[in-house]
Amino acid sequence: MTTIEQSELAVTTALTKRRRRDWRPKHGSNWWRHVVGILAAAFVLLPIIYIFSAAFNKIPTLADARVVPRKVTLHNFHQILTTKQLDPTLPTPHFLAWYANSIIIPAVAAIFSVFMGALAAYAFSRFRFKGRRLGMMALLLIQMFPAFLSVVAIYLILLNVGDVFHFAGLNTRVGLILVYLGGAMGVNTWLMKGFFDTIPSELDESARVDGATPTQVFWGVILPLATPVLAVIALISYIGALNEFIIASTVLQTTDKYTLIVGLQQFISGQYAREWGPFAAGVLLTAIAPTALFFALQRFIVEGLTGGAVKG
Amino acid sequence: MRARSLTSRLVATFAGPAGVALKFVFLGIFNALIVWAAAILASQHKWPAMVVTIAAAVAIDAVYLAPRRFPLKFLVPGTVFLIAFSLIPIIYTINVAFTNYSTGHILSESEAIEQIKINALAPPPNGKTYNLSPALDKDGNLVLLLADADTGKTFVGTREGLTPLPGSDVKVSAGTITEASGYNLITGARLFSLDKELESYRVPTPGGAIHPEGIDNAVQLAPTLRYDPKAKTFTRISDGVVYRDNGKGSFIATANGKREELEPGWKTYVGFVNFSRIIHDPLIRNPFLRVLLWTLAFAFFTVLLSFALGLFLAITLQKKFRLQRIYRLVLVLPYAIPAFLTILIWGGLMNPHDAILNSLFHVNIPWLYDPWWARVSIIIVSVWLTFPYFFLVSLGALQSIPGELVEAARVDGAGAWQVFRKITLPLLLVAVAPLTIASFAFNFNNFNIIYLLTQGGPAAGDQSIAGTTDILISYTFKLAFASGKGGDYALAGGVTIFIFFIVATISGAAFWRTKALETLR
Repeated sequence: MTTIEQSELAVTTALTKRRRRDWRPKHGSNWWRHVVGILAAAFVLLPIIYIFSAAFNKIPTLADARVVPRKVTLHNFHQILTTKQLDPTLPTPHFLAWYANSIIIPAVAAIFSVFMGALAAYAFSRFRFKGRRLGMMALLLIQMFPAFLSVVAIYLILLNVGDVFHFAGLNTRVGLILVYLGGAMGVNTWLMKGFFDTIPSELDESARVDGATPTQVFWGVILPLATPVLAVIALISYIGALNEFIIASTVLQTTDKYTLIVGLQQFISGQYAREWGPFAAGVLLTAIAPTALFFALQRFIVEGLTGGAVKG
Repeated sequence: MRARSLTSRLVATFAGPAGVALKFVFLGIFNALIVWAAAILASQHKWPAMVVTIAAAVAIDAVYLAPRRFPLKFLVPGTVFLIAFSLIPIIYTINVAFTNYSTGHILSESEAIEQIKINALAPPPNGKTYNLSPALDKDGNLVLLLADADTGKTFVGTREGLTPLPGSDVKVSAGTITEASGYNLITGARLFSLDKELESYRVPTPGGAIHPEGIDNAVQLAPTLRYDPKAKTFTRISDGVVYRDNGKGSFIATANGKREELEPGWKTYVGFVNFSRIIHDPLIRNPFLRVLLWTLAFAFFTVLLSFALGLFLAITLQKKFRLQRIYRLVLVLPYAIPAFLTILIWGGLMNPHDAILNSLFHVNIPWLYDPWWARVSIIIVSVWLTFPYFFLVSLGALQSIPGELVEAARVDGAGAWQVFRKITLPLLLVAVAPLTIASFAFNFNNFNIIYLLTQGGPAAGDQSIAGTTDILISYTFKLAFASGKGGDYALAGGVTIFIFFIVATISGAAFWRTKALETLR
């Protein structure tokens, strides 16, 4: 008995010793991590570096652009900010109009849709009512229908809305915002409901005991606690609306109403297809704000991304 | 946290009587808009729309003025928009899938019959001709002042009909009216801008219509078809060929073994025709299957490669070492920059004019020109866009793996590779695998990458509007809007329903799996 135990122990110790040598952290053996990192970074940076060099080079095509511009110039920025090539009759250069549209339309849509989504999420989280489960499931199901493929119907609806309210019909910013708000209830409502569920209900119960109405609880307890989460969801909705192409290109019909995605696509695919310099400058100007916002909120976004999946 | 105190102070201000006042202000604005809308709808005689609008407004008012009904109070705003701009369009699309709604079948039946009657008007062999003088009446409406070329009798023609003009009211020179009391003749350059308007101008007359030809002539048109409202048939007057309603929104005649169709047709329900076209019509089925296959392959390879690359990079860069933070920052960039911008840039890098990638790597690859290279290009770009997501979630998942677990395994004698294969990888997969399904569903419908990079091209060479890189959703978009033959909204609706079922199945499976995992835990 003892011999067997002893030999077993010996074997284990030997194994452990051998293994231990194997998995001891190997300092100075990170060169392969650098190789992988550099290769991946090169892949990622390839288009980004090119757009930088094209933006600061005064050369019309990307092909002639050098990684390090021979002479740094702001000519392209000046051109994209002043050009009226697509529609000379416009009062303002169209890039500025697109830029303003791409801030206003997605931002208003994001704020209102987060607000309305939060209202619904609060109801789903805090009240028990008939049809609650059914409603939540219906939201998921509707979400799976590729909404923008019903763009024919959306077009017809806006046509009719425009007959009544001219400010909200086709080719209006308000009309596009209204359409985007149609997606306010959906995945976001599920996300927010999930977060509201984690806020202890004792908090609102004590407020209720003090005489607060559910509305006051929503404004006074839930909303202040949820502000960071709502900000992140608003950012995600903003990026989503910024990236939306089909509905925007159907609803917005004149150059001055375009959002950046519609405008830049036209700019680069149409008659001025080879004007890469101004285009590159426009891309840089467009990318700055959303990218900066992303990095500012990255921690929350990553938590939101992994939260549901990694919990277990 | 400072921001929170600010919000809560704001909230406190608005929670009391101020909040109630605010509620009534909003309700007031809402009701004012409704009254306005109802008035306009009434003036346009759109009675059903008016009734629905008012009923909806009354219901909403009732919800907000009632003392309780809290869940509804919170659900109404989002739901109103959901119904108006998601649910109704979806129902409409499903509805359209069962019709023949497409270019040539846009009008209602009665409109189509009227249009056919107008189209069937033609100048008879010995028809009357008139000398034409376009003019404006007292209200500024366009009218046609007509002088019969044979008899010299004068008339005024409007869109309503033809009335005689007494000879005493007009001045005629060289057979053409040059002056008429009560009318302003249009002269000079303005005449030539009337082209379009005159082209569509018809003066109905008992036996047909009078139609301008150019700016100074008009001809009497007579119908070539006779409509029988009872039998619902058109009969060609010249040879008696009868066109019958074929039940699919067209009048059809089979004369001398040839099938003839009157244009336009009308919109009508056709049952499952669109779905059976997808299954049986080889001109639709073959492109459809090709597109479906590529859609699945595109989504599958995008997710697989992105997942593998993201996971690999996360494992490589998880350990703390010099420059680690910089690598991480750079690798997240494609996720941080709005995707439409980077797709357009890639399009520029790969476009055949400049071929920058080729000159950079000294290769000669027809990136977006050749069908297979176009597919490869799309997958490269979509992996570029997608792997940072998996990189981020894998990093998060790696950090959440309990260190004791790894420690314990090592103490038990597991090697680095064993620890990775038996502990790290399974735990990672459990955490990240459900996300692959969501990513698959997203890429399945990733319209932007296809449309902004190749627009579905290059062409497949099988007469179909579906290019070699079209995925289902861009194919559907083309069916509805971008085809040279006009839009086939009905078929697009059918394909949309098909897409819905695929995505719903995938998501349902994902949902079921996560449920199963949860109950397991």
